Amino acid sequence: MTRTQPSGERVAVVVEREGQARELEAHFLRDIGFQVELAADGATGWDRVQQLHPHLVVSEVLVPRMDGLALCRQIKSSPATREIPVLIVSMLAATARSRDAGADAFLLKPLSQERLAGEIARLVPEPAAARTEEGA
Amino acid sequence: MSTSTSRGTATTAAGTDARALPRLETGNPHLDLILGGGFPGNSINIIMGEPGSGKTILAERLVFQNARPGDRSILYLTTLSEPLDKVVRYLQQFSFFDEALLGNPILYDSIGDALVEQGVSMLVPRLKEAITRDKPKIIVIDSFKAIHDLGASLPEMRRTLYAMAGLLTAYETTAFLIGEYGAAEAAHYPEFAIADSIIELARNKTGTRDERYLRILKLRGSAYREGLHAFRVSPDGLEVFPRLVSPQLPPSYRLQVERVSTGVDGLDRMLGGGLPQGRSTFLLGPTGSGKTTLALQFVLEGVRRGEKCLYVNFEENPSQLAQQMASLGANPEELAKKGLQVVYRSPVELQIDSIISEVFRAVSERGVRRAVIDGVGDLLVAASDAQRLHDYLYALAQHFAARDALAIFTYETTQDGGGLWARLSALADNIIRLDVETDGKVRRTIRIVKARGVDHKLDTGEDRITRAGVQVG
Repeated sequence: MTRTQPSGERVAVVVEREGQARELEAHFLRDIGFQVELAADGATGWDRVQQLHPHLVVSEVLVPRMDGLALCRQIKSSPATREIPVLIVSMLAATARSRDAGADAFLLKPLSQERLAGEIARLVPEPAAARTEEGA
Repeated sequence: MSTSTSRGTATTAAGTDARALPRLETGNPHLDLILGGGFPGNSINIIMGEPGSGKTILAERLVFQNARPGDRSILYLTTLSEPLDKVVRYLQQFSFFDEALLGNPILYDSIGDALVEQGVSMLVPRLKEAITRDKPKIIVIDSFKAIHDLGASLPEMRRTLYAMAGLLTAYETTAFLIGEYGAAEAAHYPEFAIADSIIELARNKTGTRDERYLRILKLRGSAYREGLHAFRVSPDGLEVFPRLVSPQLPPSYRLQVERVSTGVDGLDRMLGGGLPQGRSTFLLGPTGSGKTTLALQFVLEGVRRGEKCLYVNFEENPSQLAQQMASLGANPEELAKKGLQVVYRSPVELQIDSIISEVFRAVSERGVRRAVIDGVGDLLVAASDAQRLHDYLYALAQHFAARDALAIFTYETTQDGGGLWARLSALADNIIRLDVETDGKVRRTIRIVKARGVDHKLDTGEDRITRAGVQVG
């Protein structure tokens, strides 16, 4: 189901309101081999998820037009997207609420490249085990 | 570092409870105490003060305190106020400097030329580059205020600061913006709006000396010690003396308290059995009335009883004081061995914050049971602010009481032009007044002016000074 890019790169959708944080997250994800699609609000994020079937969604809770937890619930309630790992990264200490929304992991901001990379390595294993359109 | 759980459940970063802000130690335990544990981690902080006030030293000390080989980097960026070479040259004078830490993890760089060529717009891309390449856990920009001197418009600075705040807040780093800001700049420069903490360093000229103070103007999400805290620059960085405040639990006054001897039998009788334990006494009198002699008898009695004692004085140097002790039949070296600590400070070099801090440490750490401050008048002359001294003495008396220790404060009444002693002596539970009357025949007198909660004689007694010290009756 999830599309791997022709380059073999895995795809991540980053949903983040704050420009600097969005770019920083994108940079860290590219550093570990992801192709990154950005969205500044939850509704756009949901569109991207439906279009791209990414390997990973990283979202802040506090985003406009559909908050990160609502986006997570949306992803987890749709049969076509429920297998996509969702990582909530937020300034809000929303561990329990993230869990209740079905998120696969939660990280408290500020961003640490090591913590982010470590969590993603757990959620989305290296390319050999990555899901491809053929294998899905 | 995260605690992982199985797929399908949320995880959280270990130790990242949002309510417990991580703290960054400054390398100075007293400053950490004032800050409630240190600067909040992952925050933006301003260190402000006039040139030469000690800002850079404070920042450098903090940098070296947090530098660990192999750990995440610490980035020190100089701008347009001081050439990098100069900063590093003077830095080497300090004991905390460790050359082995330069290059890894401490990185020094100058962005002065780039700022001149490209303007303030280079700042955010440069910081982003540093974050993605060097992963700094601390970023210092010295001087940040100098960036304003590039002539950037206020809207441009605001845009830059907004983007910078977004970047520094998103990433796990603690930033320090250092600048020669005054109150006027603090009121309208945009960096003050984004700062999580602001610490001000100031210098006041008092007579021939400079007194340095620091104070916290803002500290988001944390309690801190308010007010002016004195400090001085030492080879180890800043030596900070936290403003002494009263103990959190005020001493409870017991109606029945143990009486202890002053070391003068006649005075003990006038007091109905001696001084009540844990109370402070003001000993007033003109010069030559026997205050120091009586105060010495008081600590000698303490030593005789096996108590740890402290004698702080500002007039008699150590050999003069030793002579006085010897004249009372005591051996100063023996007294020191038995627990008497004598602290002498020249009244010329007296800095009240450091002396009060030293007294407080002696009482809280050494378990001092009897203390003499001889005399308060010298402290008053040294203090640039009488109210500050009053507050200190009050807090000190409260700490003595909380520890059930006895204190005597001497005060030379002729030093006082306007009855100031009356205000200061209100701090004490007991007031004893010594006088020398010269009407016709010279006569020494002693009077209990006040003895809180103690049945005492109101009559004026006569006293004399003999080889055995002050004798009453």
